Amino acid sequence: MPMPLLSDAFHPRFAQWLLRRGALLAFAAILLAFALSAPNFLTPSNLVNVLAQSAILGSLAFGLTTVIIGGGSNVVSGGLDLSLAANLGLSAAVYASLNNAGFGDVVSIAATLGTGLAIGTLNALVVVGFRLPPLLATLATMNLVAGLELVLTENTVLPSTSPLLEGLAFGSWLGVPALAWVLLAVGGVLIVLMQYTPFGLRLYAIGEYPEAANAAGLSVRGYVFASYLISGLCGSLAAFCSAAWFSGSTTGSGEMLLSVVAIAFLGVIFSQRLQPSIGGTLLATMLVGVLINGFQLLNISSFWVDGVQGVLILLVVALSGLRNKEA
Amino acid sequence: MSDSLSAPQPAGLTGLSGRALLRLVMPTLFAAVLLFFALKAPGFLTVGNLSSLLLNNFVLLAIVAIGMTYAIAAGGIDLSVGTALDFSALTFVLLLNAGFGLYVAIPGGLLAGSLAGLFNAGLIAGLRISPFLATLGTLFIGSNVQKLLSDGGQPIYLEAQVRSGLASERLLGVPLPLLLVALLALVYGVVLARGRLGREIIVLGSQPLVARYSGLAQRRIAALVFIASAFASALAGILLPATVNAYAPMSGNAFLMNAIGAVFIGATLSLHNRVNVPGTLLGVLFLNVTANGLLLIGWNFFWQQVATGVLILSVLLFSFASRRLGAG
Repeated sequence: MPMPLLSDAFHPRFAQWLLRRGALLAFAAILLAFALSAPNFLTPSNLVNVLAQSAILGSLAFGLTTVIIGGGSNVVSGGLDLSLAANLGLSAAVYASLNNAGFGDVVSIAATLGTGLAIGTLNALVVVGFRLPPLLATLATMNLVAGLELVLTENTVLPSTSPLLEGLAFGSWLGVPALAWVLLAVGGVLIVLMQYTPFGLRLYAIGEYPEAANAAGLSVRGYVFASYLISGLCGSLAAFCSAAWFSGSTTGSGEMLLSVVAIAFLGVIFSQRLQPSIGGTLLATMLVGVLINGFQLLNISSFWVDGVQGVLILLVVALSGLRNKEA
Repeated sequence: MSDSLSAPQPAGLTGLSGRALLRLVMPTLFAAVLLFFALKAPGFLTVGNLSSLLLNNFVLLAIVAIGMTYAIAAGGIDLSVGTALDFSALTFVLLLNAGFGLYVAIPGGLLAGSLAGLFNAGLIAGLRISPFLATLGTLFIGSNVQKLLSDGGQPIYLEAQVRSGLASERLLGVPLPLLLVALLALVYGVVLARGRLGREIIVLGSQPLVARYSGLAQRRIAALVFIASAFASALAGILLPATVNAYAPMSGNAFLMNAIGAVFIGATLSLHNRVNVPGTLLGVLFLNVTANGLLLIGWNFFWQQVATGVLILSVLLFSFASRRLGAG
């Protein structure tokens, strides 16, 4: 869908400048404010910790961004994957139970990735095959997957350790924790895939101009199918991060969903053309991570993070006029 | 409000008789489920079980889902029904604990809950943010406010001397909560099905371009829809603490998914696959009966979740597949 960059209410050039640079400026201002007020904020070790802490949300948000790129950013008829957080919960539970049952690394890891892919396939089938609006389709699969997680864990925490989880939780390379590397690696791979390969460019084309892409002979349904598979895989990658962070599977992973949605849509303002992009999502993830971290350092209640996220997302959408296609 | 949850409607092949047939599938399924549990589940068809099902499971979800019906009928969605419910519950409990009577606490709660709707209306009709993102933002801000007011999510209990027994009140032998559902369903249902506003809502939801070019006051309709949705949830927010004698922060979100599911199950019951209030009530009943029946035949809560997920998914698949086959 073509989207005007500006809402009419603003002077075009100023608004354009504000929109393109404003997000980065705001981010910089927040960094500066924390750096001045919280003495430990700007130390390298704190900053890489922020990255490590953001690995779980970030990986999920990458998955959501991929689906939004392929489906278009219209929230209802475009791409959306609400099953991501539940996917993390189930995948982590699968890993923890197999690992605890004594299966080897190969089996546990393969089964975990398989779980994510299976959920992605189910979503893809329902969305692409049956043409259900992704919002409803993934809402239903979310319920289903969350139910399966409950059946598997009986709503308890499954503690689990393995060399893989320990490595992720405590390992570091060049002074940067392993989880931060995971975030950067997953983000890096997806940035390359989305921005520099034919696959990514076509996925963008399909998301924005499905009719044109179809007329050009692209297999629209195939690409959208693939985007849900990638999203499913991101869910299980996030599951490894979560299992490492919490030393096992935890309950209540579904609560992350709304943050993930907020981050993916916040990511739009970090892109030059106000489009969903993996790079933008990475920045948005870091912004939320910095907010949580900075609030902790300043002893501000973490309750405020919710509100700030809520206000940010409303501000972003209202400013960018993203939804005003026909207004 | 141009985002529409209604599927595109290509020309149908099967005509009216085919459509009528498709329309029978859902009621048949419903009847089959009822029959199955009546035969298989011990104690399902007892007055005690059925009345507890109605009073404990049906009432709150039904009220929230009636509000959601409006949001979805207008082509939107309201993710913040829980926020409206919680704000109302919180205000109700605080006012009662502060020594005000029901005559202050009830309007106070309804007003506080409706404020969430007013906020949504401002975002959607004023700033033209899509309902999904607007209500998502409201949900975030609402949970922030609640965490701050409840010390991070601690329940607030109604003090013993102000517990009203409102929820167990009866009027002419009918429990008050059921009467409220009936009244709400009647008002919302008649307005949606017969009223001018209802017709405008449905046009806006199913044919946004027609609504636009025929000069409908889209913003006014959208604002009314989201205030109506929040008002219904606010009503549930009075009944919940009146029943459990406490306000538990963020407890309203538990109704969100089932309310959306119920509205779409209800849509499959109508000739044109249109969301409608009686259908929504049947959808809620369908979900309640399934959960209750599964419980009685010995499935635990966890498997009920899976079954509910499968159920909602199949109904959605059915609904959208039949719409493509049968839509005319």
